[in-house]
Amino acid sequence: MILLPKGAKIIGQGLTGSEGRICLPTMLQYGTKVVAGVTPGKGGQEVFGVPIFNSVKEAIETVGEVHGSVQFVPPLFVLAATKEAIEAGIKFILIGAEKVPVKDAAQIISLARETETTIVGPSSVGLINPGRSLKIGGIGGSEPERVYAEGEVAVISKSGGMTSEISLHLKNNSLGVSFALGIGGERLVGSDFADWLIALEKDPETRVSVIFGELGGTYEERVAECVKTGKIKKPVIAFIAGEFASILPSGIQFGHAGAIIEAGRGDPKEKRRILKEAGVLVAEKFDDIANLVKKALK
Amino acid sequence: MILFEHEGKELLKSAGINIPRGELLKSEKDKISISFPLVLKAQVLSGKRALRGGIVMVENKDSLSNSLKKIFNLKTFGEPVQAVLAEEKIPYKKSFYLSFSYDTNFRSAVLSWSHEGGTGVEERKVNIIPFDIRKIVFPKDMPFPVEILELLVKIFLENDCLLLEINPLVSFLDKTGKEKWCALDAKVNLDDTAGGRHKNWQYSPRNSGKVSEREIAAKKIDEGDHRGTAGSSFVDLEGDIAILASGGGASLVAMDTLLSLGGKPANYTEYSGNPPREKVLRLTEIVLSKPNLKGLWIIGAVANFTDIYETLSGVIEGIRSIEKKTGKKFDFPIIIRRGGPREKEAFSMLKEVKDLNIKFSGREISIAESAKIVMEETKRYAKFSK
Repeated sequence: MILLPKGAKIIGQGLTGSEGRICLPTMLQYGTKVVAGVTPGKGGQEVFGVPIFNSVKEAIETVGEVHGSVQFVPPLFVLAATKEAIEAGIKFILIGAEKVPVKDAAQIISLARETETTIVGPSSVGLINPGRSLKIGGIGGSEPERVYAEGEVAVISKSGGMTSEISLHLKNNSLGVSFALGIGGERLVGSDFADWLIALEKDPETRVSVIFGELGGTYEERVAECVKTGKIKKPVIAFIAGEFASILPSGIQFGHAGAIIEAGRGDPKEKRRILKEAGVLVAEKFDDIANLVKKALK
Repeated sequence: MILFEHEGKELLKSAGINIPRGELLKSEKDKISISFPLVLKAQVLSGKRALRGGIVMVENKDSLSNSLKKIFNLKTFGEPVQAVLAEEKIPYKKSFYLSFSYDTNFRSAVLSWSHEGGTGVEERKVNIIPFDIRKIVFPKDMPFPVEILELLVKIFLENDCLLLEINPLVSFLDKTGKEKWCALDAKVNLDDTAGGRHKNWQYSPRNSGKVSEREIAAKKIDEGDHRGTAGSSFVDLEGDIAILASGGGASLVAMDTLLSLGGKPANYTEYSGNPPREKVLRLTEIVLSKPNLKGLWIIGAVANFTDIYETLSGVIEGIRSIEKKTGKKFDFPIIIRRGGPREKEAFSMLKEVKDLNIKFSGREISIAESAKIVMEETKRYAKFSK
């Protein structure tokens, strides 16, 4: 997983669309260097002073090498856009779209493994690094500083809203964020909790991490395994939502595509148990998260 | 979308997989031309059909009408039996469980299989083989022909299946002594998000008895409108506190918290991704259509890009619309906790609403604190309205 440096140069795929136009000024304002946009057929235009090109290749030929791409592309076009970016040599791609078919996600993951590309999402709310003036995607809206204070805690979450909610809770408790990222709530994601927690082991700004997990899948379980095997050494605080689903029949999807209990997998209680057993600090109540973080920071 | 067995089998057949000769019966009076012995199979979406009396062997004509009547009137599934598949009985030598799906452990597609298919496969050892859908290679020593696997994986991928399960896949020797393969069952789950590229998905709505009218209505809100989402997940519950949650994650936190305090939600639902106000309006109408509610909780995290003014305007318009339709005023407490883009405009709009019992707050209180207010307010309301 690539941790982008301060001043990282970013291009925006689908930047001329409505979501791109909402997010772009908020990224620029935060200090993110968005150097080009790509929308086929819209080459030559400018959006908030950012030049638009017809292809990723064309954009790179003009503005030079970039560190990553952020996508504001409709779900059924995400696979093609990702292939294009990877072929042009981009090594970090953040996919914002929800409702990307699982088959497309599986192809993207396969491509990314082959080319050692870092994929965030699909359905990622974005990434924010207050210390590096870096905000990629919609995360934090137009006033990210009201939620994201600079600090030593990484926040990694399946939910975009809860990424902000946790960061706000930390801020209200005089704590701050070194790195916050939405991995997306899909069945198959380009990078999961453990991928980022392992990468953050080498991040000097991060001392503790908070993960927001939900019912469904096995990404929380993988964190437990990596803590057990010593791949993750920095303290992890976990909050796992969706317990109420256990009073209902399995096979119901709640909100996110991956939030579904099926084939006996994905029970939040079980996730908590496995995480606790591995030594992860599990917050039983949301409002307990900050206290556990403070405990871990001591 | 989960397909009925007969729909799944049609997919298999059109791709070249053998299935038993069969006829779909819509009522117990339908004529059958298949010869005996035959198998009657209830066409329902629930599993464990054999254990619940949904699969019946019929040896001769005498017992047919009785068996059909029984199976059409089964109440064991929680959904009505609207069709029965009558199929020739296939005597077989070997049987297997086989499925294709996606697995979060490998973050790839997987082939799962075990010896001996049929009911109870959960208790047997299942072999799970991850594979890359861009470069499909299966192990050589599989107990079924590679051609079958290739056909099945093609069906799995071309139809954007989340699951393609054949349980059992059987083999037998035909008259010439050649081994033949046949799929005796099919469970298919299609990835709804891929619907836009499958214009041929003309399946009837899956309104099995388990799904309420409200759930069906809520799911329709997103149809044909990709701006945000509202009501795609909607579950009717027994309680009396109506829920309008925002965000996949925050909605779960809200439900967990309310239940832990002893609150009884009337539903689960959520809207997110900055939906237009009309979608929220429609969802509000559905959420409030339940009688004897003691309160409404509008709850969400501090939004990243959902327009709080637009969505909360949709809520108020939804309340007004129901009041107009029913001629009744809502007097129960409406507790709002939201924050995010255009929250200031939203809160000034709410301040102007004088005839509803609204208690709103922003980021200064947490989801859990808001849940406590919901408990206090709805209890007080219940006391006074008695």
